[in-house]
Amino acid sequence: MFAKTTTLKNASGLHARPASEFVAQAKLFESRVCLRNLDKPDAAPINAKSIVRVLAEGIPTGTKMEISAEGADEREAVEKLIALVESGIGEG
Amino acid sequence: MRIFRGTPVSPGIAEGNVYLYQAFSCDVFESYVPEGREQEAFQAYQAAVHTADAELVAIIHSFAETDADKAKIFSAHREILDDEEIADEIRTAILDESKSADFAVDSVFTAFATLLSKAGDALIAARAADIRDVRNRVVRILHGEAEKNLSRLGAPAIVVAHDLLPSDTATLDKKNVLAIITEVGGTTSHSAILARSYGIPAILGVPEATNALPDGAYAAVDAITGEVYLEPDESSLQLLHQKRDAFAEDMQDASRYLAAEGRLADGTRIEIGLNIGSANDAGALRNCDFIGLFRTEFLYMQTDFLPDEEDQFEAYRRVLADAAGKPVTLRTLDIGGDKTLPGLSMPHEENPFLGNRALRLCLTHRDLFYTQLRAALRASVYGNLWLMFPMVGTLDDIRAAKEAVGEAQRQLESRGIPYDPKVRVGIMIEIPSIAIIADRAAQECDFASVGTNDLCQYLHAADRMNPQTEAYYQSFSPAMFRTLKLIFEAFAAAGKPVSVCGELAGNPQAAPALAGLGLRKFSMNASAVASVKRALSHFTLEQCRTIADQVCRQDTEADVKALLSNPFPI
Repeated sequence: MFAKTTTLKNASGLHARPASEFVAQAKLFESRVCLRNLDKPDAAPINAKSIVRVLAEGIPTGTKMEISAEGADEREAVEKLIALVESGIGEG
Repeated sequence: MRIFRGTPVSPGIAEGNVYLYQAFSCDVFESYVPEGREQEAFQAYQAAVHTADAELVAIIHSFAETDADKAKIFSAHREILDDEEIADEIRTAILDESKSADFAVDSVFTAFATLLSKAGDALIAARAADIRDVRNRVVRILHGEAEKNLSRLGAPAIVVAHDLLPSDTATLDKKNVLAIITEVGGTTSHSAILARSYGIPAILGVPEATNALPDGAYAAVDAITGEVYLEPDESSLQLLHQKRDAFAEDMQDASRYLAAEGRLADGTRIEIGLNIGSANDAGALRNCDFIGLFRTEFLYMQTDFLPDEEDQFEAYRRVLADAAGKPVTLRTLDIGGDKTLPGLSMPHEENPFLGNRALRLCLTHRDLFYTQLRAALRASVYGNLWLMFPMVGTLDDIRAAKEAVGEAQRQLESRGIPYDPKVRVGIMIEIPSIAIIADRAAQECDFASVGTNDLCQYLHAADRMNPQTEAYYQSFSPAMFRTLKLIFEAFAAAGKPVSVCGELAGNPQAAPALAGLGLRKFSMNASAVASVKRALSHFTLEQCRTIADQVCRQDTEADVKALLSNPFPI
């Protein structure tokens, strides 16, 4: 298991277009990938490969999030996704 | 041959085959598969998903050239179809819980749609509609029914329906729709306005049309007088062809005026504007002086989710840039009444026309409002933007709206995004309470445009969508003209421009009276430009004033119409 944290920069949160891009990227990896909203005390990790889960989570701008992965390519998955979020997911 | 009558709302003659449009209704009942049949059900589900995906791919392909925005919606649907959590839960529901395929699909999709609709963010909650849309598609396929919608008709047809909602018509296959017939609606229904702007002959309020006109039958439509001929005989067809030719000739004659400037007979300049309902309609702008109404609802109705700031900015930027400096009057979101949004769930109101709609809705859904305002302000650097608020009833409304603009400006400033600080900010005048204090309103806004459709409705307390109150909805009443006089004079006194963008401005019969009351800016559908210019060219300002004066002294609408049909009898 490998995990890293980052902050969401996108002005309107993780919705529609950025969510789609994020999920599409997550799906490229073999490992199980999860996302957790660290600003919500009891938040459970959610499946980052499910667009409806990610949208339902409703992550607003400025949220501290943890991206974790479990599997053969777990390091690569986390690094790539963190980089994506830090670049503003197409809205930077 | 049988003949049916209704209200002609968009003139023209057409003939062809009927296409009976009934939106798919997909009831699913709780049902389980017998023991041992679960694998079969699961395979049926998988096959349906496969078919659904193929349908979506075909749709995306067909829109790829013409409409990238629509293509995006369906790409989002493919994502949902491919969602692994939904797939897992359906698999469990069928294989472990023995639910039938359609029941499993319905349960799981509905649960996720509900989950999403509870999200605090309106933009995300709106995606619930996408999930429902995909669910409908899969269930429809499981039930063995073919796809039916108006966006790809395949062949020219006369569309017959009970009603056409804005979301139906927003994706209409214009090329192939020969005529529109519906059972409900009237002159100012959304579908009527749309039919007129596309030049499609239309007759609304034909009772029993969906029962009487079979799918595929041959019919002829006379949308000048309001008759539908089912299996027309030879002699009727001949008469219709003559009428059609005469109509085409009249349109030809009017078209001579199309490219000319709007002027009265004595040369008094009248500005002619265009009403548009999408980013693609501004082709006729070369024959007009300004865009008097840029309706923005299309952005919210073509898709099942709410458009984000980027989508809106792109659309607004395009229109402003294409207008090459001509004023573009962008009206902020005007929904409620007969215009509902697929992407936003709104509580039921007994009286939506008097309810939380348009500006009021925007003030209670601030995120929605600010998103639109930011997009519009960002686009303002590309052209001459005039921002306009619908459903203004008081000075409080004007002040609240202007405050919201200020807030949107601050939000952009904090992101370092430029906007034009000189954007004009104005109001629609459609609620009588603001019309009566037009002089005060004129002090607090840069301009106004009169929405005569709703003004008439509110003034006369008559629902413009209800065929039973059609006789009470009187756009040519003396009260309407006196109210307009009050508004025009108030704005003239304040030195602020006023236009009319409601259907009355596109009616050549009203033109001299409006000019005589002081109107110098008429905004209308492209199809009305030539005939209004022609009508205005026949009268001097003096004559217009005489007509206006007399109109205001009449007793009834019938008297006004009689006067206008023959203002200067020899």
